[in-house]
Amino acid sequence: MSATPTEQAVTTQQTRSPRFSLGNPWSKPRWLTGVTWVYILWSLLPVLLAIRVAFNEGRSRTSIDGWSLKWFFGDNSFSVFGDPALQDALTHSLLLAGLAMLIATPLGIMLAIGLQRWRGRGSGPANVVALLPLVTPELVFAVGLFLLFTTLLSTIGLGTTAQVIGHVTFSMSFVVVIVRGRLVTVGPDVEEAAADLGAPPLAVIWRVLLPLLAPAIAASLLIVFALSIDDFVVSQYLASGAETATVPMRIYAQARGAPLPSVNALATLMLLFTLLALVLAYVVFRFMTRGEKRGSAIEQIASIDSGGGR
Amino acid sequence: MQKRRIWGFLAAPGMLWLGLFFVVAFYAVISVGLGNINTLYQPIPYWNPLDWNFGYLVQAIESVIPGGQNWPVVVRSVIYITVAITGALLIGYPVAYYASRHAGRWRGLVVVLLILPFWISYIMRMFAWTNLLAPDGYGSKVLSALSIDSLFSSIGLLDGTDWLGGQGITVIIALIYGYVPFFILPLFASLDRIDQRVIEAARDLGAPPPSSFWRVILPMSKPGILAGLVLVALPMAGDYYTQTLMSGSPSTSMIGNTINDYIQGGPDKSLGAAMTILLSVVLLFFMLYYLRSLRRDQGEVAA
Amino acid sequence: MSEGDIRLEGLVKNYGDVVAVDGIDLHIPSGEFFTMLGPSGCGKTTTLRMIAGFERPTEGQILLDGVDMSSTPPHKRRVNTVFQNYALFTHMTVAENVGFGLRYQKVSKDEAKRRVDAVMEMVQISELGERRTSELSGGQQQRVALARALVLEAPVLLLDEPLGALDARLRLDLQVELKRIQEQLEVTFIYVTHDQDEALTMSDRVAVMKGGKIEQCDVPQKLYEEPNTAFVANFLGSANLLSVEARAAGAGCDVILGNFTLKSESKPEQAGVGTAMIRPEYVKLEPQGSEGENRIPGMVEEVVYMGFHQDVRVRLANGELIRADVPNDGDSPEYEQGNAVAVHLRAANLRVLDDYPDQAADETSGDADIAAV
Repeated sequence: MSATPTEQAVTTQQTRSPRFSLGNPWSKPRWLTGVTWVYILWSLLPVLLAIRVAFNEGRSRTSIDGWSLKWFFGDNSFSVFGDPALQDALTHSLLLAGLAMLIATPLGIMLAIGLQRWRGRGSGPANVVALLPLVTPELVFAVGLFLLFTTLLSTIGLGTTAQVIGHVTFSMSFVVVIVRGRLVTVGPDVEEAAADLGAPPLAVIWRVLLPLLAPAIAASLLIVFALSIDDFVVSQYLASGAETATVPMRIYAQARGAPLPSVNALATLMLLFTLLALVLAYVVFRFMTRGEKRGSAIEQIASIDSGGGR
Repeated sequence: MQKRRIWGFLAAPGMLWLGLFFVVAFYAVISVGLGNINTLYQPIPYWNPLDWNFGYLVQAIESVIPGGQNWPVVVRSVIYITVAITGALLIGYPVAYYASRHAGRWRGLVVVLLILPFWISYIMRMFAWTNLLAPDGYGSKVLSALSIDSLFSSIGLLDGTDWLGGQGITVIIALIYGYVPFFILPLFASLDRIDQRVIEAARDLGAPPPSSFWRVILPMSKPGILAGLVLVALPMAGDYYTQTLMSGSPSTSMIGNTINDYIQGGPDKSLGAAMTILLSVVLLFFMLYYLRSLRRDQGEVAA
Repeated sequence: MSEGDIRLEGLVKNYGDVVAVDGIDLHIPSGEFFTMLGPSGCGKTTTLRMIAGFERPTEGQILLDGVDMSSTPPHKRRVNTVFQNYALFTHMTVAENVGFGLRYQKVSKDEAKRRVDAVMEMVQISELGERRTSELSGGQQQRVALARALVLEAPVLLLDEPLGALDARLRLDLQVELKRIQEQLEVTFIYVTHDQDEALTMSDRVAVMKGGKIEQCDVPQKLYEEPNTAFVANFLGSANLLSVEARAAGAGCDVILGNFTLKSESKPEQAGVGTAMIRPEYVKLEPQGSEGENRIPGMVEEVVYMGFHQDVRVRLANGELIRADVPNDGDSPEYEQGNAVAVHLRAANLRVLDDYPDQAADETSGDADIAAV
């Protein structure tokens, strides 16, 4: 993390032969520094402004206009807690995320452990099927589930159940990737050691494997939560009406319509939940893996999602 | 290990779930796309391959070849996606390079800030721009103050001054904005993995910095670049919401909008399913390519 | 019969087409410190893992005290393992790690505590009980792994390169301690290593393995002094290998090396073209013109100063190069390149090996090739 010897080396090289630094931008971190920070500003400033507008006193959604919490809690019928539609969207989003989290995590953990060990016929295709949802465009995924629930499974039909199933289906693959990563880190030795010391197979899973997987399980729970709460396409395709609208669906519907900061307030609340989940995941992961010599936990969590196009 | 059955037993519930809600769901797309409709224009899926009716698939194929109804949309999608991923590469590479090799003591913070957009809902990030680019929004004002809108107008990239009024350039910039974070992460991972000593060795052997970049760093980060390109191109190919939020005009609609309109619009669900089959076939190659690179990475971790 | 008697009969392990262990027959009596020594890929770890129960033999039997246990799962075998990288449970404290296996034995809580305390004291980690394993040094982790396996009082302990990850100094200390514990408990130790020093210093018997087979199995001194093959000669210490022809003569044999005929006290399995071996420390350099049997004239070609001894390379009159270790004890002369000497290869130390020369040439590696060429 500190200034590395390499950077010093680069600097000395520059002083010795400035020709290189003029001719080539790559040896000149200052140029890159500028690009990076401008990019970071560009990527986050719009969102920060949208959040700031949620605290407006006035009705403008495009400019900063005083301070208040009226678009969150105001007793007018336009605030998040005054407008039943917005409030329902928030509770519905939280309901979906909670259920998806509780279903996808155990399924994904068992699948990951099974796939990691299962060698033999069928394991190759099974691995592909377990990871394919990560790279399937969400539209294709959603169209498939939509047609499934309107034809073959029309007894279930569209609505909350279908939405939960959809969220579980795409987030399970993330759980598989996270848990398998952890299984590789832990290695097969400890399981063999436990068996060697007399623990029967179920005790190996219960007393050794699951405790060692705990950080991955915590990370999975909260990341499924975050994925579900941010999802738009699957929720929209499997919704059955206004009562199954989620927060992203509300934002989508009103982005170009009713110009009131209450939508910003709703988006802000959703973002708050997502970030809380992530910070919690980070802290828990960090706590549970304390003492282990590995890369920073931030990068661990970052790498988890390098397989997701959502 | 002794008990092999236990592993298959553990994997079974998840595999059944994915089998039903992923594999069978995709089979439903095929069955509807190769099925028929009833008198109420509702699709009737043909589950038995022997019954398949290729009428809609032929119709879908005819619509996406030159002269077909959806041909302009296909061309537009390809142009938008190509320009957008090029833009994402030009922005993403320097940023990922800086974060992985030069961020020094700021590295932790930079990485967190680069990951952050990842976890902000895509819809919310687009929504933020609809605020900024509204005629009285801060974004429009800044662009106007810098005369960027008149510059873009003069070279024909912008029609009038309303950025949200059906402008192709807005959709492309929004796509870049939306997907750069997904690109930076695989790039960062592959650049970060390059051993600093390899670069020092290149210098030591006499390569000046530009050449050590072109001959060592760039080739070594190629897997990350390709993975990133695929990772970003796949969801763009199925994106309809960016276009709807940033323009909404049929003159900027992409292939995702066409499918979305067919499926959610009403009488053309079978045609929409057939289009989905076509899109999946085209994308399958890229999806498998990415999965392969993902597995190669995991293999390296394991070894 | 006391416990801990291990018998391997016709043990074979294949992975697909790859033969990892190729027919091993072995008897390890109760209470022995037995070592399997060999380069990586020789099948020693696979054999150990089959005894532990992590791998199932393709063929053959594993008998513990006369009972075949090749289909008993690992958690039911009265055999415990110290793993190469310790495989400690990072989510438990040291004491919990040590007590782990006792939960699966019918042991009362008091008894369990007493045994954990006793074994932790024996391996000198009593004061570490509440620590997390990640806070320990490599040597301490090694002791925890040992204690965890010992506490179950199984009659056989398997050790898979247990000292491999430690630095040289610590390794020496722990070697002594392992030997002490083994003698104190009278447990059968089956120890796997690729380190010849470890094998020689600790073991009652050593099996040198190669290509899934046992090349030679004997007490350390016999292995070192009387290797049967060039591979064993090279793997334990260094050796001069000479291409010779052997002819039976009395209790020993005659060794024909070029124009010279030497005596050897060894008796090869068959006469004919073969390989003779002599350790560098038994090669004696004498002044030019010394008379007597087994003396060959030669010229010093290279001298390497090694601290407590000199490594002197001498070109023999028949063209072969031979290495002699000359101690720097103040009495021996200092040699220089070009010195003419007489090389004394004592009959007692010159051994004709069992393998054929082409085989020997394939197997020689490292510093041995100076002699084989």
